[in-house]
Amino acid sequence: MISGLKGLLTTLRWLGKKPVTAQYPNQHLPVQHRYMGFPALLWDETGDEPFCTGCMVCVRECPTQCMTAIMHDNPNFTEGLSHRRKIIETFEINLNRCILCGICVDVCAFDAIEMSHEHELASFERAGARADLGLLLQQGRRYMKEESWEPASPGRNVAGIVLEARAKTAAAKAAAEVAAESKSGDAPANVKPQEPNLDEKTPLEGSES
Amino acid sequence: MNVTLGEVINIAIALFVLFNLVTLVAITLVWLERKLLGRLQGRPGPTRVGPFGLLQPIADALKLLAKEDISPGSSQKVLFFVAPLLVFVPSFVIWLTFPVAENLVVRNLGLGLFFFVAFSVLSIVGLVLAGWSSNSKYAILGGFRAAAQLVSYEIPIIMSILVVAMLAGTLDFVEVVEAQEAVPYIAMVPLAFVIFLIAGLAEVGRTPFDIYFAESEVVGGPFVEYSGAHWAIFFLAEYVNTFVVGLLGALLFLGGWMWPFGPDLPTPAAAGLVLVKAYFLTVIIFWVRATYPRMRIDQLMSFGWKWLIPLSFAVFVAAACQLFYKWNPWTLTIISFVIMAVPVVIQIRRQRNPALALAARYAANAIVVQARPKPAVAAAMESESATTDAAPEGAGA
Repeated sequence: MISGLKGLLTTLRWLGKKPVTAQYPNQHLPVQHRYMGFPALLWDETGDEPFCTGCMVCVRECPTQCMTAIMHDNPNFTEGLSHRRKIIETFEINLNRCILCGICVDVCAFDAIEMSHEHELASFERAGARADLGLLLQQGRRYMKEESWEPASPGRNVAGIVLEARAKTAAAKAAAEVAAESKSGDAPANVKPQEPNLDEKTPLEGSES
Repeated sequence: MNVTLGEVINIAIALFVLFNLVTLVAITLVWLERKLLGRLQGRPGPTRVGPFGLLQPIADALKLLAKEDISPGSSQKVLFFVAPLLVFVPSFVIWLTFPVAENLVVRNLGLGLFFFVAFSVLSIVGLVLAGWSSNSKYAILGGFRAAAQLVSYEIPIIMSILVVAMLAGTLDFVEVVEAQEAVPYIAMVPLAFVIFLIAGLAEVGRTPFDIYFAESEVVGGPFVEYSGAHWAIFFLAEYVNTFVVGLLGALLFLGGWMWPFGPDLPTPAAAGLVLVKAYFLTVIIFWVRATYPRMRIDQLMSFGWKWLIPLSFAVFVAAACQLFYKWNPWTLTIISFVIMAVPVVIQIRRQRNPALALAARYAANAIVVQARPKPAVAAAMESESATTDAAPEGAGA
């Protein structure tokens, strides 16, 4: 009986408060930071190209096989603007199939894919659920901006940093060579080239073959 | 009996106006309920149709009228379509005798209260008929529940109305209201008012007493098979009945148009006062609906028969004693509060020590099982399994 009166007071108190409802199409509540929407591809600002090299790991690991990817040789690599020998050419996710499991994010070694905040992707026809490379990159950029996203291993994947590190090691190597030559002219030259490769630890070398 | 054409036309016009007013009241109540329920529960309520969702009930009504009116193949067609009318007509007919102001009444009857009670009971027939003619198990269950609930709660509501009738010494609505010029009966017999309101809730099947059309139990009770316009008539009747409880409370207990401004109010103001009181009581009913979950059917019956009916008889006897021995009228208030204190005290004592109450209930229901010696085979198997379990450990050690 007392608790009944308490219940009446509780509802009465709500009468003075503002309703908590957000009228959806007019008002979009912000999603949580941890929100897992559809996967999106991320953009490497320093190399001005996507992180994705088209290594197909996500395509193979996807439990619903919702992804398709084709890679090609990276023109930026030949010009020395990037460390990526291969780059993604087309990438397509069938959003009708995607189950938002996040396995693609877990297996990606290039920081190239991330579960974005995109969730309002309704379309009027089935083909509308096909997210192509442009859309994925656009969503990825939005996600990067919203979350001020940082790659998990920049030393390995961000083109600018990798190239800088390579340049540094190359310079150091050259300096060392110069120093070695100046000290003793008959130092073996075939041992040293292995060292910078170990420092870089680029899995690109492995996946490239 | 000589009835001229003019009289017939007058009555027809009065009925037409009354019907439209009743419908208007129902429409306002639909909006008020949805909006109020929303706000009481932290929602905005209807906002889409018109400003503040004011046109929502009209949209609802249009939707209902536009829907296909289906009748199940195995139903009793005639009774199936007559049942909604049997529910609605009594709840409409009782409005003939409700005075909204002293002169604002279709026909004031000397036995107005009796007329109200007699006709409001009739709607049970319609509900049972709706349940039976649908030829659906849920509908018939709902119909039975409606019969059980409405008949049980009819008694306390009639007793509390009788208390008022005894105090006023009349069954005429206008005279009952006029008797409350100085003190409304809610101050004189608060318990009767409480009983009236609770039983009224049950009588119109509002939450927490919406047992007979409980959607999660009997999926809509007698209304399961109805759709479109016929369902709309049930809906209309429900809201009209809800307002009738409010209006009746305003007239019988809150002093109608007499209290607190006296008899000299002009008719529109008097009608406004009565309507404000009636809407206030209706809002209380909506508030209760927004708060409480549904009762179980056994809780409903035990609450009706073990609490409300004894309490209503107690207040009835108290009122009779007060009238017979010509006590001061305020003694009735005191007696009323004392009687009301009884269930409150019992409830508080119960709540203060729930563990003890629970233990007592368990002790009362306990089934004592005598410990018996184990059968020899089972005991042997147990000892055997114990040795096999122990063996590997021994081997390992």
